[in-house]
Amino acid sequence: MKLYDWMVKPTPQTEWIERRGILLWLAFFFIELGAGTFFVATFFDNALAMLIGWLICALLGGGAHLLYLGHPFRFWRIVLRPQTSWISRGLTFVGFFLILGLVDMGLRLWAESPLALVIVTDVFAFLVVIYGGFAMNYVNGIALWNTALLPILYVVSGIWGGAGLTLCIGLATGATTLVIMIEEWVRILLIGFIILLAVYLISVRYGTTTGKVSVREIVSGRWWPVMWFLVVSLGLVLPIGVVSSSFVVGIEHISAAVLYISIFCELIGDLSMRYLILKCGLYSPLIPSSSYAVS
Amino acid sequence: MRWGMVIDRKKCIGCYSCMISCKQSHALPPEVFWSRVLISESGSYPTVSKEILPVLCNHCREAACVRVCPTGATTRREDGIVIIDADKCVGCRYCLIACPYQARTYHADKRKEYWPGQGITELERVGREIYPIQPRTVTKCNFCMERIDDGFRHGLQVGIDRDATPICVNACPVVARTFGDLDNANSNVSRLIKERKGRVLHPQYGTEPSVYYIE
Repeated sequence: MKLYDWMVKPTPQTEWIERRGILLWLAFFFIELGAGTFFVATFFDNALAMLIGWLICALLGGGAHLLYLGHPFRFWRIVLRPQTSWISRGLTFVGFFLILGLVDMGLRLWAESPLALVIVTDVFAFLVVIYGGFAMNYVNGIALWNTALLPILYVVSGIWGGAGLTLCIGLATGATTLVIMIEEWVRILLIGFIILLAVYLISVRYGTTTGKVSVREIVSGRWWPVMWFLVVSLGLVLPIGVVSSSFVVGIEHISAAVLYISIFCELIGDLSMRYLILKCGLYSPLIPSSSYAVS
Repeated sequence: MRWGMVIDRKKCIGCYSCMISCKQSHALPPEVFWSRVLISESGSYPTVSKEILPVLCNHCREAACVRVCPTGATTRREDGIVIIDADKCVGCRYCLIACPYQARTYHADKRKEYWPGQGITELERVGREIYPIQPRTVTKCNFCMERIDDGFRHGLQVGIDRDATPICVNACPVVARTFGDLDNANSNVSRLIKERKGRVLHPQYGTEPSVYYIE
């Protein structure tokens, strides 16, 4: 982009993906992956997966988020405006989730955790998974983000990633029943994610001119290798192959190494997709009459 | 009362006086601009067209930046000026992302000098004392509120008397910018908007900007 094209042609947002913005990309990913893992693990009563999910959310997600801030020591101010700001709501959800999750896991060390606490903690875990999508969806200047499908896509990807990680933990600890049950979740979420991703890109493509440019950047523009190699081939096609094989022959006949690789690829694909959504978020030009070529 | 600005794009010659005077008067650090002039070219010889668009913070009535700010650092005053309290800003940059006009800048590094490696000049040092801009916070145009407030206190007419008028308006050599009260139907800005069909940027977002453009 030449200097005189700035704001007169679709302009990419950079603050949430370039330089220190990379930290925010990782923060959203780890916060949602951690909360997603915790959410899935509570359904299968797997304390280890819950703990790992909690740690990912608190240390990797929360840590990256704090490091991204210009003034991390003022972070407490962030929770002051939940009535209007999604970042404020999100941090409030994360705070409640981390406290309740800790209490829930602590109680499990001695006895059963009360059902009400489990439900409330899961509700907050779900809200943590969903808030990143809403924070981005609220930005109406960026067509790629300003769609109701984005929060849904992020929820599915967060829970899908969480299910994958829980499956890995089940494999590592030899919990065969858990692995068989979660594999069904992974299969359904994978199909849901593929359909949602396709519908999301198509709807943005046919929504606005800037949306069209954004989608073109992703699928056939500068970022096509990331889309087709990392998101599609590694993150979708390979896991589809593995879940299809396990559906036909049964998961117990699939080597653990293949399952680990498949889930690792799935997470790489998810992370890459989030990168593309942040990277290709374009603002509409300020002068609508200005001609910019869209083929 | 709601302060607003009208920019006549037909008069603007793209001389950058507004941009430079703003940068100078607020002692803005390197890479930080509150006011900009965008110049674009389209077409090819011999049918080339050039468009000039001076931009600044729109001080929107329904400002997206005010709504998304998680700390309440960005607020809208009674007179419509959107301001940032740097002491409350955590540097999350959500406001910067939410602004569809990209009018905000994140000031990352206070050590940056205009002449790298040579230390800050005396002018930069004095500027930083007079107009300290907190590093690692978001910054933007404030409609020269210190001039407006001061002028108002001293009984000057805002937008008419030079001492009570934003510096970019004063600096424009072709008088392309006009400043005044949008709520007053007889003000110079209201008349210009009415007579010359003033338009705002991106009206579809419902932000209700206070900066109008006439052609």
